[in-house]
Amino acid sequence: MTKYKDIIQRFLPDVEDLQYHSNLCVFEVPMNQIVSCCEELHHRRSLPLKIISAFDERAETGTFRVLYVFGIPGENVFLAPFIRVRDSFPSLTPLIHEASTYERKIKTFFGLTPVGHPHCRPIILHENWPEDVYPLRKDFPWDTRVNSAAGEYHYRKLEGEGIYEIPVGPVLAGIIEPGHFRFSVAGEEILNLEPRLGYSHRGCEKLFEVLPLEGKLKLSERISGDSSFSHSLAFCLALESLSDMAVSARDDYLRVIFAELERLANHLGDIGAIMLDTGYNFGGANSARLREMVLQQNENLTGSRFLRGVTRLGGVNTEVAVDEARGLLAWLDRLLSDFTEVITIAQNSSSLLNRLKNTGILVPQITLDHGIVGVASRAVGFPMDARIDNPYAAYGKIQFDLATEESGDVYARFKVRLKEVYSSIQIMKAALNNLPELAVMKTKGPFEFRKESFALGLVEGWRGEIVYLVKTDGVGAICRVEVRDPSYLNWPVLDYAGRGNVVPDFPLINKSFNLSYSGNDL
Amino acid sequence: MTTTVFIIWGIHLLLIPALSPFCIGVTRKIKARLQNRAGASVWQPYRDLRKLFCKDEVISQDASWLFRVVPYLIFASTLVLGASIPLFSARVQNLLTGDFLVIVYLIAFGTFLLALAGIDTGGAFGGFAASREMTIAALTEGGLILSLLTLALLCHSTNLAVIADTLGPRYFLSFVPIVLAFISFMIALLAETCRYPFDNPSTHLELTMIHEAMILEYSGKRLALLEWSAANKYLVFIALGANLFFPWGITHSQSSIALLVALLLFVAKALMFCLAIAVLESSIAKFRFFRLPDLLFTSFIISIIALGLTVKS
Repeated sequence: MTKYKDIIQRFLPDVEDLQYHSNLCVFEVPMNQIVSCCEELHHRRSLPLKIISAFDERAETGTFRVLYVFGIPGENVFLAPFIRVRDSFPSLTPLIHEASTYERKIKTFFGLTPVGHPHCRPIILHENWPEDVYPLRKDFPWDTRVNSAAGEYHYRKLEGEGIYEIPVGPVLAGIIEPGHFRFSVAGEEILNLEPRLGYSHRGCEKLFEVLPLEGKLKLSERISGDSSFSHSLAFCLALESLSDMAVSARDDYLRVIFAELERLANHLGDIGAIMLDTGYNFGGANSARLREMVLQQNENLTGSRFLRGVTRLGGVNTEVAVDEARGLLAWLDRLLSDFTEVITIAQNSSSLLNRLKNTGILVPQITLDHGIVGVASRAVGFPMDARIDNPYAAYGKIQFDLATEESGDVYARFKVRLKEVYSSIQIMKAALNNLPELAVMKTKGPFEFRKESFALGLVEGWRGEIVYLVKTDGVGAICRVEVRDPSYLNWPVLDYAGRGNVVPDFPLINKSFNLSYSGNDL
Repeated sequence: MTTTVFIIWGIHLLLIPALSPFCIGVTRKIKARLQNRAGASVWQPYRDLRKLFCKDEVISQDASWLFRVVPYLIFASTLVLGASIPLFSARVQNLLTGDFLVIVYLIAFGTFLLALAGIDTGGAFGGFAASREMTIAALTEGGLILSLLTLALLCHSTNLAVIADTLGPRYFLSFVPIVLAFISFMIALLAETCRYPFDNPSTHLELTMIHEAMILEYSGKRLALLEWSAANKYLVFIALGANLFFPWGITHSQSSIALLVALLLFVAKALMFCLAIAVLESSIAKFRFFRLPDLLFTSFIISIIALGLTVKS
């Protein structure tokens, strides 16, 4: 705790009333100073914004609390100024564009107005949801059936000779989630693209408030089914820091191994899907085969192809025996040589590279303004990775290469994934070689959480940074869980990456981001 | 005598529609094997057709009469195409529709109808697919006509049956122009039959489609007819390539053994084409849309060179 205080003193020498909540340092700021405070932290001190979240505390204090969380690079510690709000608060968006979607979400779900927001339209909830019903307020029971409203949604309209619109979705071809895309096109060139999401909204954040603890864990695994392990890990990390629960060193290493297995499976799937979308069948078929190898290994080790039910509070449910670890090492070597062989052939295909290069370019300024995370951000050249910036589990003890590329096109995102496949294998080997002995004592419930406290769980999922912000109430029960999937930040820039490309290249660009619909819609 | 000719004609008429789903099935099977997959049986396209013929149809209320009649017209046009080109017997010489210009424009007629049907329902997918198809069709036409014209000039006849019959002895005298014309023809074949690198026949991504997006609104028996027509067109092009550029094996004899051998030889040649196309589709990626005209211009220019060489000799 004193170590944390020293770090925080570096950034906030003049704030008096700091409350330390596990890994979160919370302090109140008067409403009229919050914009300058956030600007100071974000622009002058270069602290990345992690999340902006609201809490309904009208029962206790008669106000809402809006919390702004900033990360401190290199440490698993977060600074969180907050304001108390009655019905409106000053908007950060004009100064920090990244805040826009968070503020829209607060407006939609809590009914608090960000004053000065340039375009505060509802997010996630559609026009059939009544505008004055705010589902995340405490006085909204989770099982309420609301009357259907008759609002209207306005797409951005482009006018001019020969410009036409292509509506695609929400039911899309292939086995993917629902989402609508509205293209404005001149000939084949995309002039404007508006993704419209929210079709898979399930009210997860409200459900987190009412489900029992076991149910909450299961729900976190189902926020985005392809990141089950990372999501539940982020949630567990938050809960563990709320209860000072110690995780054995062995379980920390096992968590790293499972997290990397998940990354490996998904990256292999994406690499294959990108190649398949260009019609390069050889690469597509072989990457699908490699992905299947990893999924079967997952099933062998844990009984679940998607690593569900593996995380638990205070550790992992699955033990990896000594001979299993040895087998895994040999298997990783086989996978590595197999993968290298496939990729060497693919990298020599000029027709494939021609499709990938210079397609769907994301420029650095847009990336910065929208606070893009994960693969998309590293492909533009920003060396950000929660495994290094805010190390969790055993990542602090493992050295690995951070994958970055400069060009920001589909090829860059493809190559970042290739490099991460190699680094995942490198990490897993290091973790398996240094796997500590089986701990004698394993922590099991019942769990006591600190009362009236906050905690943040941060995990670098395979898409990017997953954030869980958890708050407990006066009796130590979890009263709010805010989830931020990386897709939530990355969806809006698909528009910028798509513009200027031809329509037949869009599926490829979309695949190179491969964002989650359900993770965004919650 | 006349009975034999009748039988030959009968086989000739039915050969293309009967064999075309098999060619599609074989191409898919080879592709699957090349990708380490087991793949569906080579008879699967027949089952698909039977399934579609048994299904109910949904037709958009915005569709006009055109949308309803186009599948029949296109299917009929592919039947005429199949009956007009040399397949296995030189006894069948169709003087009425066997001219190569008639063949090329009968193919273009089908493309035109399909593009119209694609636009008809007013959907965005059908619209952009029709626009892409017409762009490609317009650019393909030159290469296709000039490559066939090269052969016509060599044989002093524009009738395809005559070309197939008389090219053999002159083959090695005019080897270079024939090879060049063949390259040009192959590019046109890939473009016209919606194959790589122009179109991906197995894609599920509606935004990248050309042929598949035009028939997106069809279902049931009309879809079956269109799928069957596409298969027929594929085999017609393969038959043109196999019999005009490799003009051996077409028999003059009326003995049943000779006919059977000629028939099997034709099937073998067609399967070699399927193999070549499957290998191509498994080894390259589809081209970016705006690079396709370059390829079609290449086809055009190569056929012009081939033509120039024939005139000189």
